[in-house]
Amino acid sequence: MDDIDAMFSDLLGEMDLLTQSLGQETLPPEPLRSPKQEIDFSIGFTGLNASVNELEDNDLDALMADLVADLNATEEKLAAEIQGLDVPPPSSSSDLPPPPKGLSHQPTSSVTSPSSPGNNYSNSVTTPSSSTASPLPPPPPQSAKPTMEEIEAQLKADKIKLALEKLKEAKVKKLVVKVLMNDGSSKTLMVDERQTVREVLDNLFEKTHCDGNVDWSLCETNYELQLERTFEDHENLVEPLLAWTRDSENKVLFQERKDKFEVFKNPQNFYLWKKDKKTLKDMKDKDKELLVQENFCGTSIIVPDLEGVLFLKEDGKKAWKQRLFQLRASGIYYVPKGKTKSSRDLVCFIQFDNVNVYYGKDVKNRYKAPTDFCFVLKHPQIQKESQYIKYLCCDDAWTMNLWVTGIRIAKYGASLYENYKTAEKKAAVSSALWTNRSTPSSSSSSTPSPTIKAKAPAQANGHAPKPQAGPPLQGIGNLPPPPPNDFLPPPPPDPVLPPPAPSLASKPAPQRQQPSDLPPPPLSMDSLPPPPPPPPMENSLEDPPDFLPPPPPPTSYSSLPPPPPPAAGFGRNPNQSLPPPPPEPEFLPPPPPDPVILAPGAPPAPPPPPPPPAPVSIQRPAAQPRKMPPVPPKRTTPMLSGGGGGGGGDFMSELMFAMKKRTDQ
Amino acid sequence: MAAWDLSVTVEDLGSDAPPVTISVASDLHVGGVIVKLVEKTQIKRDWSDHALWWEQKQQWLLRTAWTLEKYGIHADARLVFMPQHKPIKLGLPNGKTLQLKACFSNPVFQTVMGICRMLNIRHPEELSLLRPVEEKKKKKDKDLAEEIYDLTEVPLSSVSRPCLYNGMPAHFADSEQMEDVYKMLSITQPPPAPEVIAKQYRPASVVDKAHINGRWLDSSRCLKKQGIQENDRLWLRFKYYAFYDMDPKYDVVRLTQLYEQARWAILLEDVDCTEEEMMLFGALQYHINKVSLTEPQTLSSSAALDDLESALMSLEVKMEGESSSASEMILSSGIVHFRPKRLTLKGYKQYWFKFQDTSISYFKSKEESIGEPIQQINLKGCEVAPDVNVTAQKFLIRLLIPAPEGMNEVYLRCENEQQYAQWMAGCRLASKGKSLADSSFQSEIQSIRSFLAMQKTNSGSSNNAAASDESINTHSLVSPRYHKKYKPKQLTPRILDAYQNVAQLSLTDALMRFLQIWQALPDFGLSYVVVRFKGSRKDEVLGIAPNRLIRIDLGVGDVVKTWRYNNMKQWNVNWDIKQMAIEFEGNVNIAFGCVTADCKIVHEFIGGYIFMSTRSREKSDTLNEELFHKLTGGHEAL
Repeated sequence: MDDIDAMFSDLLGEMDLLTQSLGQETLPPEPLRSPKQEIDFSIGFTGLNASVNELEDNDLDALMADLVADLNATEEKLAAEIQGLDVPPPSSSSDLPPPPKGLSHQPTSSVTSPSSPGNNYSNSVTTPSSSTASPLPPPPPQSAKPTMEEIEAQLKADKIKLALEKLKEAKVKKLVVKVLMNDGSSKTLMVDERQTVREVLDNLFEKTHCDGNVDWSLCETNYELQLERTFEDHENLVEPLLAWTRDSENKVLFQERKDKFEVFKNPQNFYLWKKDKKTLKDMKDKDKELLVQENFCGTSIIVPDLEGVLFLKEDGKKAWKQRLFQLRASGIYYVPKGKTKSSRDLVCFIQFDNVNVYYGKDVKNRYKAPTDFCFVLKHPQIQKESQYIKYLCCDDAWTMNLWVTGIRIAKYGASLYENYKTAEKKAAVSSALWTNRSTPSSSSSSTPSPTIKAKAPAQANGHAPKPQAGPPLQGIGNLPPPPPNDFLPPPPPDPVLPPPAPSLASKPAPQRQQPSDLPPPPLSMDSLPPPPPPPPMENSLEDPPDFLPPPPPPTSYSSLPPPPPPAAGFGRNPNQSLPPPPPEPEFLPPPPPDPVILAPGAPPAPPPPPPPPAPVSIQRPAAQPRKMPPVPPKRTTPMLSGGGGGGGGDFMSELMFAMKKRTDQ
Repeated sequence: MAAWDLSVTVEDLGSDAPPVTISVASDLHVGGVIVKLVEKTQIKRDWSDHALWWEQKQQWLLRTAWTLEKYGIHADARLVFMPQHKPIKLGLPNGKTLQLKACFSNPVFQTVMGICRMLNIRHPEELSLLRPVEEKKKKKDKDLAEEIYDLTEVPLSSVSRPCLYNGMPAHFADSEQMEDVYKMLSITQPPPAPEVIAKQYRPASVVDKAHINGRWLDSSRCLKKQGIQENDRLWLRFKYYAFYDMDPKYDVVRLTQLYEQARWAILLEDVDCTEEEMMLFGALQYHINKVSLTEPQTLSSSAALDDLESALMSLEVKMEGESSSASEMILSSGIVHFRPKRLTLKGYKQYWFKFQDTSISYFKSKEESIGEPIQQINLKGCEVAPDVNVTAQKFLIRLLIPAPEGMNEVYLRCENEQQYAQWMAGCRLASKGKSLADSSFQSEIQSIRSFLAMQKTNSGSSNNAAASDESINTHSLVSPRYHKKYKPKQLTPRILDAYQNVAQLSLTDALMRFLQIWQALPDFGLSYVVVRFKGSRKDEVLGIAPNRLIRIDLGVGDVVKTWRYNNMKQWNVNWDIKQMAIEFEGNVNIAFGCVTADCKIVHEFIGGYIFMSTRSREKSDTLNEELFHKLTGGHEAL
């Protein structure tokens, strides 16, 4: 352990240097900046008009070129150095732009071509579309000849935009994150701080070729506190990871979590939980839809009406005390002794701005909790035992689920629903892709692979150099040393596209072995050391440990609906809450408004027809039609570009956009 | 056919004038009667708005083609010839009174449509009229004649198709007076004086809350028929809490008035909320007031900054941030006393503090501040709480700083107000991950200082009603319950605390946020009626919400049952025994008689909500009036 520590601190030292040179301020010392550049900058940008008018074309070009060069150099290095480090560079999260130093010292006149490896690197994980974007050499800024003043102004504007983008890019923090799969293997990804969990998931879908259903999630486990939570899709991944301590044994898991979007699939279980089980179970789809609409599509997000006696352990005390708690949009409250439940008497227990909600594990043993159904509220920064962590115990798992979901709705509001809709779209696309692939048409399966190949070298570049140092320390707590190292070059393993097709034909059975078998072949394509099949790691933390997210579309736990023969697959899957890869059909059609018209069948009034007009269009499709939503055929072709959208917002596409805009001029 | 004399009172001749007698035959149609009448009066004017009202039958004779015989009118009929539009005093949600001409002859539903068209409020179906609660007027108050905004001069025809002029409907652009009216409608009112709030009627229980709902007018009958007289006072309120398609761009008046209604609902505890929520509402009111003073009427301006511009702006800010020497200078001048909580009981020690980006560092002395700090604390994600007493000159900042091991509690003691405001503002921003260079730093300082100022002025008595922005009495922002519980200066830090989360909102966003939080309250949107369920011997309360009915046991004060409209199969009203019967899916039948409100009102509420829920479907903006009446009218509508 000692030398690992040593290595680690060496690495950190190196990184400090690097980050300093990058201009990301590191902790105590304040890097001196060359004042001259600063002056240039501030002159250039103090006033809006001034900036546009005063900057000469060549100034801008130079600025761009410098930035690019600067980025090329440092990011390449950084990417190499940082690699394998789960732990964040200890830089303060300052928002400072890159050091002006670099600008003056790196006089590359090269075009603003977006070929900085750093960029490519981060893009490579995103989508095919972005990789197709990169080859297009954007026209050099100089080439455009300003004929008219307006055009000139526009050009300047574009350049400034580009420059700004570059500036932004330069400060972007990147982490290499190891993500544990269900089978105990892991994938290593580069995640930059702008990436959302959704984007990372999309990357993982590509790497693992799983079915991409909406339940796939990234989860964070806290080893020390025995907590876990699912990241929300809209969160940035890097930020919570930065809160981990250096020696942390926390992990990031890639799993299917049914509870993630359960509230949108069966809203009645959350919003009408007081009703009897049977009513809830028999809830009609249109009523479910109505509930979702009512609670998530109005001007205000409605939090489920939750109230109940829970056991509380707080302030570091050992005892658990019972209180009557109530969930409101503004926080959790409790009814003080001897008071009524009226709102004004409620005492605020906690508000959600600064805390996240986690599932607690093994609390009975650890804290003598009355039950094991515990959820925990704590500030994300807190990583160790502390009196500031609040533990709440419920009578049963279902109640716990209610509360956790309710808290998430209160905390994240509309984002949750947006996440769900995005996930659904994504799932539709990937399921379409799978159905498509499964058909023995060679074309469809072959299209993706070239693009991936094309990407591979870039990744190799970014990755290869110095893999060994970091990884053992973090991420996988249980078996640190060997596997991580072997995993370092994993990015390549994704070009697994060819294999799936055959395997699909044989359907679910082979699932088990495939995952471990599959990685190697693709590797060989990239002349990288093939990672030995990982020793199946025991993930004590994971409940469904033997489930593998293999290239063939991994599916939800219980249902294995392999895309190819949809009908058959679905037949075995009557489970209402586990939608097969094709997205749940209820949600596909734009939620048709609910048919609420009632017949006021008052005796005197001519009763309007009881069954209202609306539902005809949605008549819940019977089991069969449900399986074949109109989606697959539609999405087959768009998939690639659609995937590109998923990576959205990355620098390359922004750049392309800017460039295109300019050429349009 | 034999001619007979029909005497008609012509209102325009004055109340003392004798009825005008004309000779008619039974087959003369109503239009003919009117022509004869007008000829007889020999007055030249526009009579087009006039119509005949049949006093005994309480009925308008609006079908001019119908004959007297068909209407069943004989010589003994007392008819009144009068305008269909008459002025009324309309109490608005913001508490102001407007005088305008409303239609007395059409169903109230249409009258409201007309009023809303004039006021430029979309979706009139959500509003209705009700009889006001009589105010206990003391002699003293009468001296202060209430300001009445007059809209009676607006020609009715000009309202029919409102076109915008200067961002407001054209009829408001005619004169300065009219513009003032529009301002009153579209700009939020300043916080009311605490005494005004205290004076208003506040429901103390659900039963109290139920009474107001007995006052709604019947939407399917006209004003005249409901006994409303010219110049009577009526309230215009949002009745159905289902606000469809709220768009700040088109809904300036609607949004403002809805906010006012919501604000009063909170202040008068019409809808319950917790203390924390009340503080947030208070903070939002404070902010809304402040912003509407500084940026009046930006509601209509397009916030569409060119994205390049905004990018440059943010760059500018970032650049400033880079030269953090500037921000450092502001704050490093401070000697701050520092106490890590549990370490010592001895109290505070002096250190030289530096504020940089989102971190504070401290040094033994200024001279050593070039070197390594004793400690550097990053404030990102920390909790910042004030502990201030202006009179005692206590300026403490309490910081709860998250760390892997838990939260570290740290106190900073500032020397004076000035220093406190700066450091507090810095800490607030840093906790949100913003540096001192952020553009909001100065405004943050400002707001902290104005809250401090509030503490000062309030420490005396609260009678300086000079409602300048700086000296709002915090009691104006919360319900009277908290007037008793807290002194204004105790309230100030709590509201300030909540204010931090909303201080950056634009006016529109702040209004929307207020409405959102209001709508997220568990009791939001419930209209109560006291009912007696069939087979039950005690009164219970029926709560009518946009999507469901709830049954509240008065003894327990708790919801005992919920029925959702979408499970409803049909409902009936037995007008004779005034009982409503509703059938839900799964053979659930309920029946109840209404105690505090007419059956029709309850019927209309339920039908109205069902109507509201049908709106989302039709993309067209035309209001399906027929459907509304079908759903709410009962037998009388047809």
